[in-house]
Amino acid sequence: MKLTKRLLMSVVALGIAGAMSGTALAADTIAIITPSHSNPFFKAEADGAAAKAKELGYATMVLVHDDDANKQSELFDSAIAAGVKAIILDNAGADASVAAVQKAKDKGIPSFLIDREITTAGVAVSQIVSNNYQGAQLGAEEFVKLMGEKGNYAELLGKESDTNAGIRSQGYHDVIDQYSEMKLVAKQTANWSQTEAYTVMESMLQAHPDIKGVISGNDTMAMGAYAALEAAGRKDVIVVGFDGSNDVRDSIKKGGIKATVLQPAYQQAQNAVEQADKFIKTGKTGLDEKQLMDCILINAANAEKLETFALKP
Amino acid sequence: MKITTLFVASLLAASVSGCKLVKTGDSEAAADPIAEIVETTFDTKLVPALTEKAAELATLQNAIKGSLDKAGESYGVRVGGAGGGWNFPVKGTATVLEDTRASTKAGVAEIDVDGDGKADATLQLGPVVKGSALRDTTNLYDFSTFRDQIEYAKLGRALNDKAASKLPAADIELKGKKVNFVGAVVIRTASEKPLITPVSIEVAP
Repeated sequence: MKLTKRLLMSVVALGIAGAMSGTALAADTIAIITPSHSNPFFKAEADGAAAKAKELGYATMVLVHDDDANKQSELFDSAIAAGVKAIILDNAGADASVAAVQKAKDKGIPSFLIDREITTAGVAVSQIVSNNYQGAQLGAEEFVKLMGEKGNYAELLGKESDTNAGIRSQGYHDVIDQYSEMKLVAKQTANWSQTEAYTVMESMLQAHPDIKGVISGNDTMAMGAYAALEAAGRKDVIVVGFDGSNDVRDSIKKGGIKATVLQPAYQQAQNAVEQADKFIKTGKTGLDEKQLMDCILINAANAEKLETFALKP
Repeated sequence: MKITTLFVASLLAASVSGCKLVKTGDSEAAADPIAEIVETTFDTKLVPALTEKAAELATLQNAIKGSLDKAGESYGVRVGGAGGGWNFPVKGTATVLEDTRASTKAGVAEIDVDGDGKADATLQLGPVVKGSALRDTTNLYDFSTFRDQIEYAKLGRALNDKAASKLPAADIELKGKKVNFVGAVVIRTASEKPLITPVSIEVAP
């Protein structure tokens, strides 16, 4: 009987929770662990996951690891001790996070990864991975088109410790390097930071006043770079970003930054919770573990449909 | 057992969870597993699979006018989640209205299928080829058997390069010619003009 089975499951869950130090939670809870919400992308993920979890009747435990694998490990310990039913995770390192996901699995808690993948299969139940490489190719194709397939350009890289920084750069070069008249004159990290990108762009411009375009690993850096270009009277420089933020959308609508690439973060997070719910109730998701979620090019043609990392139909 | 043979065997067995591809010191064997996959599957598996399942472009476009999702369910496969689209194997005969290879590296042939003098679709001629339709349209290349999206993307690129290498050379002007083609295409919206990645283009005599 359904009721008996649910009672049994609750008793088992309470038993597991009770066996550890820490308080057991009254309602079924899903933990949502991401990088810092100061980046609206991760906030949108957390909000999307929390909204779907509440809709499905779960309580939520929302935590941030600040891209620190050690902190992430501690957060996993807390979630495990609290007896959560599932963990939604945007992880702090593809190799470093495997251990955390494994230890949750060992305690009977399934993990559903979003955005970033880990390098081992069979540990998380789902890995709903943003196809950053494909997205970067889209951004680069648009960049090359806007540049007329030639000219001097600069690249702003993300934080080196973040796998996505490398993936996007590789995706950019996979496309751009096929065009022999596109010349990379400057390449530097601004660590995903808007203020750092401003300073980096300023110095790049001084060293290379003939820059025609800038391709940026993410939107916050693109915003910083564009502000520096504007201040230097160089609104002619073509800037392309990545993420699909509201800030860059607004810039595109005003004719500033030319394009960005949307990762459907809100939808991804909601899908993860739906899969967690199905897994909790039936023991499976019905889907492959690794699911690639494609990105979408955003430019003047569709920018007005973009809102908080989702495209309105 | 040579690492390459082992690799191909395990790929076919489709159960390489957690396996990491490691280059051996064996200089004779292909140290590039991606190149190995392309060499062992492109002509013998991919092209036949696309050719066998290909819908006529005209038929497909009619179906899409009715409903993209219904056309997708009948003729294609959905890839890439919310940001992705319907992948279709496709074939047809058409007249080339424009050949842009002289003016861009992402050369295309604008093709007229229904004879009304207007371009109905575009064939990618290369050398720069966009997208991963060749990788994604059949079930030959499963993402879960690859270490990460970078390796998976390398496969997509290698398949595109292989396909482009088989097309008529750039010095053969295609404008005005009648061509038969087979390829794959991703469609996200009913109104877009299909950008087809061909595995073959034959110029009709």
